[in-house]
Formats: sequence, C-alpha cells, structure tokens
Amino acid sequence: MKQIKRAFKIHRIFVVQELKRMMEYKGDFIVGIIGFLLAQISNLLFLWIIFTKVPSLMGWSLNEVVFIYGFSLVPKGIDHLFFDNLWAVGHYIVRKGDFDRYLTRPINTLFHVMAEKLQIDAFGELLTGVALIIVTLPQLSVEWSVLKVILALISVPFATLIYTGIKTCTASVAFWSKRSGSIIYMFYMTNEFAKYPATIYNTVVRNIITYVIPFALTSYFPALYILKGENPLFNIGMTVLAGSALMALGAVIWHFGTRAYESAGS
Amino acid sequence: MRRAAKIYFPFINAGMQEVATYRVNWIFYILGNVMSCFVSYFIWKAVYSSGGGENLEGFTLPDMIVYIFLMFLTSTIIGSDASYVVGEEVRDGSIVMRLIKPVSYNGTFLFQELGNKLLTEIMLLVPLVVGVEAVRAALMGGIQFNPLSFLIYLVSCVLAYLINFFFNICFGFLAFVVKYLWGANLMKACVVGFLSGTIIPLAFLPKPLEAVFLLLPFASLNYTPVMIYIGRYSGLTLLYYLGLQLFWALAFWGLSKFLWRVSVKHLTVQGG
Repeated sequence: MKQIKRAFKIHRIFVVQELKRMMEYKGDFIVGIIGFLLAQISNLLFLWIIFTKVPSLMGWSLNEVVFIYGFSLVPKGIDHLFFDNLWAVGHYIVRKGDFDRYLTRPINTLFHVMAEKLQIDAFGELLTGVALIIVTLPQLSVEWSVLKVILALISVPFATLIYTGIKTCTASVAFWSKRSGSIIYMFYMTNEFAKYPATIYNTVVRNIITYVIPFALTSYFPALYILKGENPLFNIGMTVLAGSALMALGAVIWHFGTRAYESAGS
Repeated sequence: MRRAAKIYFPFINAGMQEVATYRVNWIFYILGNVMSCFVSYFIWKAVYSSGGGENLEGFTLPDMIVYIFLMFLTSTIIGSDASYVVGEEVRDGSIVMRLIKPVSYNGTFLFQELGNKLLTEIMLLVPLVVGVEAVRAALMGGIQFNPLSFLIYLVSCVLAYLINFFFNICFGFLAFVVKYLWGANLMKACVVGFLSGTIIPLAFLPKPLEAVFLLLPFASLNYTPVMIYIGRYSGLTLLYYLGLQLFWALAFWGLSKFLWRVSVKHLTVQGG
C-alpha cells in the first residue's frame, strides 16, 4: 500500500514536470492532438463512404462497426497517453546510453520510464473513441445489466495492458540489439486489424489477432460482449488473461534486459 | 554537368550507405506499413460479398485489390522524408552545415534521398510488382502486365516524387513556426492520404468533390500513377494528367525556392 502511494506521488511529480515542459511550446501540443484526430476522421469517412454502397458489412451495421472502432480507440489511447515513452527506449534511450540515468535512481526502471512522459497527443484518439461510443450506443439496442457494466469497465484497463505489454516486450529487445523501434512498430501496427469486426478476416488472420498478437481482444471481443451479451467468459476473460500475461512477460524480459544493458562508450 | 555529378555523387553515396546500415529496420517498417493494406483488402472483400454488387464506381473486387497494393507500392516509391529532415535540421541547427557548402540547398537533400531510394526501390519494386501482377493474373485469368503502361507509370512516379519532395521541403520550413514537427507531419499525412486517394479511390467521392480533388496536387502524387498502371488513363487524358503532374512539380519547386529565400533570413542558430 505504501509502495503504491509512493508510486502515485512520483508519477504526479513527473506529470507536473512534463506539463511544465509542454508550456514551453504553448499551442504546439494541439498540433499532435489534431493530427491523431484527423487520422481517425479519415478512417471514419472511409467507413461512411463504404456504407453508402452497402447496407451492412458481413452483417454488421454502420453503428456496430463504428462502436467497435470507437471502443478500440479507448485502450489504445490510454496506453498512448501514459506509456508512450517505451517507444523512446526502442528508438534512442538505450542506443545513446541515456538509460544510465534510470539505473542510478531508487525507482523501478520500467516504472520510471513509463511515468516520465505524458503523451497529450493521445487525446486525439481518446476523445474520438469516447465520442463514437456515446453517439452510437443509444442507437444500438444493448441490454444493460450491472454485471455487464462492471465487466465492460474491467476490460478497458486489461485491454490497455495488452498494448503496453506488447510494447514492453518489443522495446526490451533494444537492450540486446541497441535499437528496436522498428520491431515495436511492426507489432504495434497489427492493431490496425483490431479496429474492425474480426469476422471480416480469414481464419489465419483471426487466429493471429486473437491468440498470437491479441489486439482483437482489445476491441472486438469486449465490444462483442457489450453488444450481444454473449460468452463473457471468453470475450472478457481472455482480455484479462492476455493483458496480465503480456504485461508480466514484458516485465520479465525488461528485467533480464536491464541486466544485459551495456552503456554507450563515451 | 560533370561538375554537378562530382558534387552530388557523395550525397547519393551517403544516402545509399544509410539504407545499407539500417536494412533490417527498414524491412520491419515496411512490414508494419503493409498491415493496413491487408486490413483494406479484407474490408473491401467484405464490402463486395455484402451485396455491394460486382462493380462499384467502375471497380471490381480484383481491381480494388490491385489498387490497394499499387497504392502502397506507389506511396513507398514516391515517399519523401524531406519535411522531417529539413525540420529537424532547422530545429537543431545542423542546417548551417549545408549553408556553408557551395552547393544547392535543396539539391543536397534531393540527392541524398535519391541515393536512399535507389537501394530501397530496387529491393521493393521487383518483388512487389511481381506480387501484384501474380495476384492480378490469378484474379482476372491471364497475365495483365502491360510494359508500356508500366514505363509510363515509372515516368509518372518520377514526377510524383518530385512534387512530393518539393512539397515536403516547403512543409519542412514550417519548423520555423511549429516546433512539434512529428504532430504536424501526422496531420499532413492524414490530409494527403485522403486527398490522394490512398484511403479510398477518388471515384468513390461525390462527383463535384472528385473533380476538385483531381485538380489538386495530391491526386498527382499517388492516384495518377496508379490509374496509369491499371490502364484507366489513355490518349489525351493521359497527356493531360502527366502535364498536370509536371505543372505541380514546377510549382512546388518554385515555391520551395521562394520559401527558402524568405526563411533563411529568419534562421537563428543558437550557440553554433
């Protein structure tokens, strides 16, 4: 308990620092938010144009597809907001030897790296995601129960951990290979598949995004449970399981990685 | 001419070495980028099987699949990092290293990137064209490859690359105003992606909108070469669109020169 309190306190200090840094370039942070907002808008325009040609996409209505799309942006956005610094580990922190700084402090290195940066750009995704959910939900006939609300709320942090876990695993590779930005990128981009109902893909792709790089568990499966109320054990249970397992795996690889870390010679 | 070749060859060489050093990285990035192609592929497959009909706005499913992958190929061929490189150099001040050399400022970037592209293009062009043609042959029954179209496609790609390069140089000068270039570049990529038909063929837009978009420089980037490759433009139409590409290339070349003159006066480098 004391440790958690300390972690929150440290996190708050980092966030305050980060906000000060942002104030240096006032207005600039809006640029990133608009950038991510535009990325979503162009995808939505694409969907909207498609639905002027067909009444449904393999049985999914426009509202359902947009709901799944919106739901996928929430865990993605949360991960982006809080844990964006993992990219920097893969891109340059290890290569330039900057990781020394983290090793010299009495804070867990993984926590330190994550807490250090707050990526405001993520609001471009988060706001779109929440807006799409709010707009589409009333038009979908969803039966609500207390259990469903609880399970839906539980699924979001674990879906976020799927993102963060995959990023931690791939970022850790940099401890051995010096840089792993491209590897993080390759795995991260698989989330493109998660934005749409998994039934539109063939079996191979569906199995990959469910069991191997399980981004479908961050969006389609929890959304499926919310929409249809089917099979909570799989749809939510797998998300919880995959999120915990991937984050644990990431932490283990990270731990061994920091032992293998060699600073840059300068 | 010989003098120019002697001056710029080292830049081409440097660009090639850059790629050779980070080969593996580059392959992973390409693999990451190709994901969204496969997503589009499955979406369009779903669209055509959901009762959209055989033919949507003149595109059958095989047409659409070829379109998606050609768009990817074309945007990789004509891709330019100029805005990012210029912006970074303006920001960290290393731009002075280019200023003190008796060479054209834009020229150094252009040749460095060309060296970069020479290698990547060879690695990418052959496998992707063979792949696209294999898919095309399988879907449409029989080989569809047209050497003449392909040659004109390559010419059109060169024009498109020049438009893209000079447009990006212009955009890079934004670094004098905006410090967060990554965000600005993302904004640019989204707008260009939509206006150039990468997200959805321009033929799917309402007709008046399509007419306007076709005139804008962005359609000259990806859309024109791809339309040429799949044989949609011929005769006078073909000449018209190639002419439009040439016009935009010259326009952005001129604009980049102008912006360079204006902005270099505002250049301040701290502690240089």
